[in-house]
Amino acid sequence: MHKPVYIQYLSLVSPLGNTVEQHLEAFKNGVSGIKLTEKAGFQDTSIPLAKREGNSSNRYDTLLREALEKARQKLSSKLFENMAVIVSSTKGNIDLLPGDTFASTKPIIHEFFPKTDVFIISNACVSGVIAINTAADYILAEKYQEIIVIGIDAVSEFVSFGFQSLFALSNEACRPFDKDRNGTTLGEGCGIVLVSEEKVSESAVLYKGGSSSNDANHISGPSRTGEGLVRSIEKTFKRSGFTASDIDFVSAHGTATVFNDEMESIAFGRTNLNQVPLNSMKGYFGHTLGAAGVLETIMSIISMEHNTLFPCIGYCETGTSVPLNIIQRMESKEINTILKTASGFGGGNASLILQKLP
Amino acid sequence: MSDLKENLKAQIIEQLNLEDLTPADIQDDAPLFGDQGLGLDSIDALEFIVLLDSNYGIKIADPSEGKEIFQSVNTLADYISKNQ
Amino acid sequence: MKILAHSYVCPQAVLLNGKPVSDLKNEENPFKSAYQQLGVDYPKFYKMDVLSKMAFIGTELLLPYFPEGIDQENDLQLIFANSSASQNTDNLFVESYEKLKNPSPSLFVYTLPNIVTGELSIRHKWYGENCFYVEDSFNPGHFSEWAQMAFDKGNKSCLCGWVEAKTDGEQECFLFLLTNSENADNSIELELSTLIKQYRNE
Repeated sequence: MHKPVYIQYLSLVSPLGNTVEQHLEAFKNGVSGIKLTEKAGFQDTSIPLAKREGNSSNRYDTLLREALEKARQKLSSKLFENMAVIVSSTKGNIDLLPGDTFASTKPIIHEFFPKTDVFIISNACVSGVIAINTAADYILAEKYQEIIVIGIDAVSEFVSFGFQSLFALSNEACRPFDKDRNGTTLGEGCGIVLVSEEKVSESAVLYKGGSSSNDANHISGPSRTGEGLVRSIEKTFKRSGFTASDIDFVSAHGTATVFNDEMESIAFGRTNLNQVPLNSMKGYFGHTLGAAGVLETIMSIISMEHNTLFPCIGYCETGTSVPLNIIQRMESKEINTILKTASGFGGGNASLILQKLP
Repeated sequence: MSDLKENLKAQIIEQLNLEDLTPADIQDDAPLFGDQGLGLDSIDALEFIVLLDSNYGIKIADPSEGKEIFQSVNTLADYISKNQ
Repeated sequence: MKILAHSYVCPQAVLLNGKPVSDLKNEENPFKSAYQQLGVDYPKFYKMDVLSKMAFIGTELLLPYFPEGIDQENDLQLIFANSSASQNTDNLFVESYEKLKNPSPSLFVYTLPNIVTGELSIRHKWYGENCFYVEDSFNPGHFSEWAQMAFDKGNKSCLCGWVEAKTDGEQECFLFLLTNSENADNSIELELSTLIKQYRNE
């Protein structure tokens, strides 16, 4: 990497709260945003969801405005001259069907940041990590000086019914990497970070590199060998100049489906990361799809800031063929370098490395 | 039996959204899954479970049971005629 | 940066480097006919959504033009975009649970636009980087930026695509293959905007 790229969090909204402080409290106390939700599944079945209060339509638009409002307050207006926005979302506002589900996104962003260039990345569950990587690429290409990255997805019957049809939902709050895991739990949220060429605040950390990779195996089933995830992690190591021994903490994807978590364990074994403290945050947030990469990157930055490892809630006992060092209780640890990974439909995998400022 | 097979082919095309195919494109004994035949996979097996339930009232509780049944149009027709 | 080859697939025709390959105007199932004319055996084609079908056909035609001597398996980036994401399949999936009362898993798995790049990666064993953007309209400047950033990161070639399948609306797939040739003029924007106009008969 030729010049430093900085990343800092601006806004975090989920069922756990609408400030970073509320999320820190929830993580410290092992609080989950997941609740059994009546009539949310197909034919009015009850399913666990990490859903914010209220049943309004246009959940996506509401969530986006709320998170943008908070982000806007944190930024000084001098930043906006050479800035762009990258949105990461799998579905946008599903209520806009049969029309374009992303039609409301740009106009809402322009309410807060008029005339700003807006890019939308829709690359399934790896969208968030790819969006941060793309923001860094833009900074390095000197096309923009600051990029706001927004990860967002809302709970919808569309996605819930779809995951039910795949038998991919857990009947209780999901249990990433656990022996008894039996599916994921869906969630919603919006996280916003700023990627910039200059250090904008004290909470900024360094972005050191990232990449994506495809399994080239199946459009909805994870690779049995972890091939795509291994290739992405190796490429990210190469680009950042780090190795497995430099990593203090891995924020894994960990959807809690039987096959996904097994695939990740194999990939972490193959990349010598199986001894590194690791969690999945799906037990707190549920699987927030296009938002997940950004939400989990924000909480990873908070982990570094507070030198604290947060437990992988829902996990009790080894449930993957390659045992991992899964964090079971909150502990203090000097965390300088973290690896964030994601994997998703379409065979996508992505990863990035962040480092604390010296 | 041959009526059942023809109906099955039409239902497979509809259920799996294979709208570019006609029943004549599906051979009775050709493998439905894997790289030959129709190249179907585990997601499509879920569609077969729905198809058997909604069209024939047959419930398959364990998706792994489907492997034998869903091999070809012949094995499917055989299973339906025995279990209906 | 240099455009090595390009293709265009729509329900009326298939074209390669500006020249017609298949006339589909009188075909009842245009993409099925175009697939059969390719002479490849890939039964999974029939299961694909319209986005993937068009991109599959367009990519097969570009294969002879892929640059030799590069690690295509790892160093090819796929950069795709459209304006309607997976709208066509989204609406079919809604119909499956609202009208037919059975949410269809085989439709649901296509309710993401990046499944297109997944299908191409599976078909050609490409393990490289992927990205799918949703944009207002085809923007040659953006594709040029994204490809340049891909090359800056060490990728050696890019397969780019504008692939659109709207419910009751336009269906088209414009693909172009790029290489990071240092001698060539770095601006491909003008060439791309001319090409898409020609393909669309604008």
